Amino acid sequence: MKFLRFIRQYGPVAKNDNMYDETIRRSAKRNGVEPIKFEHPAEHEILGCFSDDASPLVSVILTGTAGDGKTHLLREVWQKLGGDIELWSSDNPYLQHSLDLKGGTSKTVHFIRDLSGWAPQQGLEWEHDKLELIQKFCESIYEENPADIFLIAANDGQLVESWQRLPSSHMVNRTRDLFEELLVEDKQSIKGVCLKFFNLSRLGSAELFTRVCKAFIEHEGWATCYQESTGDDDTFGVNCPVRHNYELLKDELVCSRIRCLIELCDHCDLHLPIRQLLLLLSNAVLGHPDCPDNMMRPKDIPEIIRNKKSCRASLYNNVFGANLSENRRRAISIFDYFDRFQIGYETSNRIDNILIYGDSEKCLNDSFKEFIANDTFYGADESYCSIRNRYIEGSEEDTDAPKEFLDLLISQRRGLFFKIPHDKSHELKLWDLTVFRYAGDYLHDVLEPLCEEKTIRRAIRSRLVTGLNRIFTGMLVNSDRELLLATSGNFSQAKISRVLKDRLSVEPRHGERITVTLNEKGRAQVEVHLSKEITASWELNLIRFEFLSRVATEGALPASFSKECYEDVLAFKSRLLAAHQKRTKLDGVEDDPSHLGLNLISISKQGVPEDRFVEVTI
Amino acid sequence: MSEYLQTRLPSAAKVAPSMWVDEAIWGHRYHDEQNPWLTFLEFLNVFAHEKEKGRALDEVNGFNTLSYTPYRRLHLRNLLFNNPKIGIISEKETADESLWKEWQEQLQNVQGAIDPNFEYLRSRFNGPEAFKDFAEIISLLKSTALELNTNKRWSSKFVFPYGVDCLYEDLNKDAKTNDRNFFGRTGEMLYLILCRSAQKERVRELLTSHLFFQDSGFNKLARALQPEDGETSKSQLKDSFLPYISHPIYDALSEDWVALLELEVPGYDIFPHLVNIAAFHLMQYQLRVAKDILNRTEPLRIVCEIVAPKKTLVRELSCDDYQQNNLLSTEAVTAYIEAIEDSDEWQQAIQQPGAFVNCKEILENKVRWGSDYEGATTPEDLIKTLRDDCRKRHKQHVANVHRTYGKDIGLISKRGTIRLRYAPNDDFLKCLIFANVSKRMELHRFQYLLWEKYGLIFGDKEAEQVLSSDVFDKKSFQSNARRLEQRLTSLGLVKRLSDGCAYVLNPHSKSIS
Repeated sequence: MKFLRFIRQYGPVAKNDNMYDETIRRSAKRNGVEPIKFEHPAEHEILGCFSDDASPLVSVILTGTAGDGKTHLLREVWQKLGGDIELWSSDNPYLQHSLDLKGGTSKTVHFIRDLSGWAPQQGLEWEHDKLELIQKFCESIYEENPADIFLIAANDGQLVESWQRLPSSHMVNRTRDLFEELLVEDKQSIKGVCLKFFNLSRLGSAELFTRVCKAFIEHEGWATCYQESTGDDDTFGVNCPVRHNYELLKDELVCSRIRCLIELCDHCDLHLPIRQLLLLLSNAVLGHPDCPDNMMRPKDIPEIIRNKKSCRASLYNNVFGANLSENRRRAISIFDYFDRFQIGYETSNRIDNILIYGDSEKCLNDSFKEFIANDTFYGADESYCSIRNRYIEGSEEDTDAPKEFLDLLISQRRGLFFKIPHDKSHELKLWDLTVFRYAGDYLHDVLEPLCEEKTIRRAIRSRLVTGLNRIFTGMLVNSDRELLLATSGNFSQAKISRVLKDRLSVEPRHGERITVTLNEKGRAQVEVHLSKEITASWELNLIRFEFLSRVATEGALPASFSKECYEDVLAFKSRLLAAHQKRTKLDGVEDDPSHLGLNLISISKQGVPEDRFVEVTI
Repeated sequence: MSEYLQTRLPSAAKVAPSMWVDEAIWGHRYHDEQNPWLTFLEFLNVFAHEKEKGRALDEVNGFNTLSYTPYRRLHLRNLLFNNPKIGIISEKETADESLWKEWQEQLQNVQGAIDPNFEYLRSRFNGPEAFKDFAEIISLLKSTALELNTNKRWSSKFVFPYGVDCLYEDLNKDAKTNDRNFFGRTGEMLYLILCRSAQKERVRELLTSHLFFQDSGFNKLARALQPEDGETSKSQLKDSFLPYISHPIYDALSEDWVALLELEVPGYDIFPHLVNIAAFHLMQYQLRVAKDILNRTEPLRIVCEIVAPKKTLVRELSCDDYQQNNLLSTEAVTAYIEAIEDSDEWQQAIQQPGAFVNCKEILENKVRWGSDYEGATTPEDLIKTLRDDCRKRHKQHVANVHRTYGKDIGLISKRGTIRLRYAPNDDFLKCLIFANVSKRMELHRFQYLLWEKYGLIFGDKEAEQVLSSDVFDKKSFQSNARRLEQRLTSLGLVKRLSDGCAYVLNPHSKSIS
């Protein structure tokens, strides 16, 4: 069971060797297993920068969060260029390689594989030779065919910070501004600069997860585990929770639900590096609150089975880091992000009825059986039923049962999130199990069609327009065919806006139209076309979508949302007003100097906005 | 002693008040009942008048010679704020003509109304439902009026400053004479500060080209509610006073206003930020001058708490800083009087015969006080009475400026606790970003700038520099900085790249759009 020990090292254990590319390989060697391998989505493009037909060669910077795979990719390049692997194994953060090119020329490739390890510590002076090298780098990227090219791997923060600590000079400042522009504006290159910039944190984590998960579950180590297991109640036997968790993970439904969560994180700009994804998988399979480091070791398992503690190893809980202490969990970004969905704490009456009365109520019985009773591992066992009965009967002295039962409910709700099949997710309102009740619509009715280059359903677009109109006017309007551009007169951010500037058509009309599209970063956006030339767009992330959907369907501003979404929408209105002003200017409409007309909106009982035109002679 | 304190400008000839201490230290004058918006309005009144005369932000006749005549606009004000029946009348389903008639008739009974001749309105509204149109316009302008202290009498209510035709002075309750309750001259001080600031030309240029001076639709609307000859005030306002020729705050304020006015913000949206930043600088000016008078050389410190769910060390420090800063102005007043007492002039006077008379003369010259003095005729009693009276007077208004302005602009609050402290709200934070980040700025640099420029402390790096090691707690400040980042991120004003690097963004920067 060396393999289990090895994958445990990817998890949230105190000494996790498998955090760094360098140590993973050592630890794999020691355990005699292959590390988890898959092709990084950017690998092809990065290696392509150094292929023979990539001319001219340019410098490359790999940046991203810790655990994004920078060192790994750099090593791939090193190997590809014929670098000495022994040299790579040294701890030197700076390596050099001479590259012979066709035609008898050669170039020096400088590898700075860890900028923070190479640059002097905060407060120390830069050494002369390092300064010279940096200077060379700064100059080389502005040359047409430089003799030196650089490969630098650095966390983006370190990159900016190192450059800030460099003695100021024209070239240094110029390069720093360049980095800022590349980073903040998510660019890969800038015209006239011989530099390719790969920000690995901008890659979709969902795509990474698909690859990581596939490599994880298809690893040959699992086959060995099956072979090595000796009895049903032994490690990796039929009753072993690790084996069960592994098999659950292989289930398309479970995997796809995890992927959904990660995809939603992507669309909230919460990036999860590879290291975090591996940690998630390792913890999902091996997590158990009663073991050292809250992760099962092969030798712990027989005892867990004997003591009937297998249910505490539930993958459904482990995915959310529930096996870890609260402090530990909060410190790990993937669990922190997943926590924001509040899965386990959010619910609907329907769901809770199934969980509580499912085995006695006839109409709920089928669902109860399907999702709870049939799950002999993590479903409703005897202890669940007995505590539930105590909870329902609820005597005053019995203060433990409610608490205990509510905790059990949390894990059962989590289980349901992974068990409700796709075809029932609508009926059972799967996403009511999260705080984002409209996340399902967002995934399936917004992202999915957009990724397939289709348009989104009219009903969804109407809902968004209604939501926008309600915020724009501050009134409970129901119009979804036109966007109402209204102001209060003095502030574009006012709560109630009665002065109607214009109505913009949702369907195409004289160049006006409102669409939902993907932007260049692959994020959904609302695009308002005011004319052929003038467009204003607004990124439609999950939170904004949820907010507008609730405003449109439930009316009032959802109290659980902070002011931020509301202000976001108002800021968008400001931009639309500015765009509208621009259009008016371009149209060359002259104001009548003797009259002033105003459209004032009021709202009819049906929620239809009515405007009253008031004219004043001036 | 700071250099600027050496040359205090002389006040104009004998003017009120009769105790020239607060005024000599800071200017004529701070008034806590004049909230930041009213200060801004008063400023606009002055600026618009001086612009009209072709001398905006120039003290052409020398320092402290400003003199201006504000508008009254009694018709507009009556229509908007002393017109209680208009709503009810416009609801009636009778002919338009009779609505006008009924409205005019009831005006006779409205208290404080002036010369109820509103005939001119009839030519301004010509639609079939002219009266209803008129009522709609009134309700619209009223709905956007500045909601400052709703209990105020109608003659102290103000329409939003859409343009010059919306400007007028504060009047007393009979609407006949100028009143200093809400236009207490702080706006004049603001005007003089900008007159003497480094970037006054640019401020003038930007303000003059702002929508406010472009006769916008809403300004026209306000004009349409007034007769052709808008009455000007009978009051000739003068005796404005700002004691120092230059001060770093003057320049910082002009710099911030320029930054704000250069942003691409639609309509009047920049006004609240101009108001907040001006009030913030006025507050800083009070604190910094007080510190200099007290000869305290350590930098001004404003530890800010980003509200935490639980009590934190940062909150404690913030409360302490608030309390210490809140005492500064009163201490400065005491020190100012002590300096008179310590002066050679005073010391010689008390040694010589007729000490009391001589000392009284000194005080009459220096602080214009003493003619009504009726206490014991000893120099000691005399100066003690002055000290007590000064402190008393100071506490009534000027000492409250730090607290009231701080609360009004969203820097000071009790949120989540029972003690006042520096706990900036979102609007205030936004204002700081809009005024200081031209396009984007690395978050740590931004925090450092706030410290350097305003003395505001959020993060551990700045706190470590000024706090003694026994009160400094790195962790608390780090979490405070983290909360700051979260707040700004949720406002869409910070973009985090990865664990080590975040940028503050200004969405209104010209270069972005």
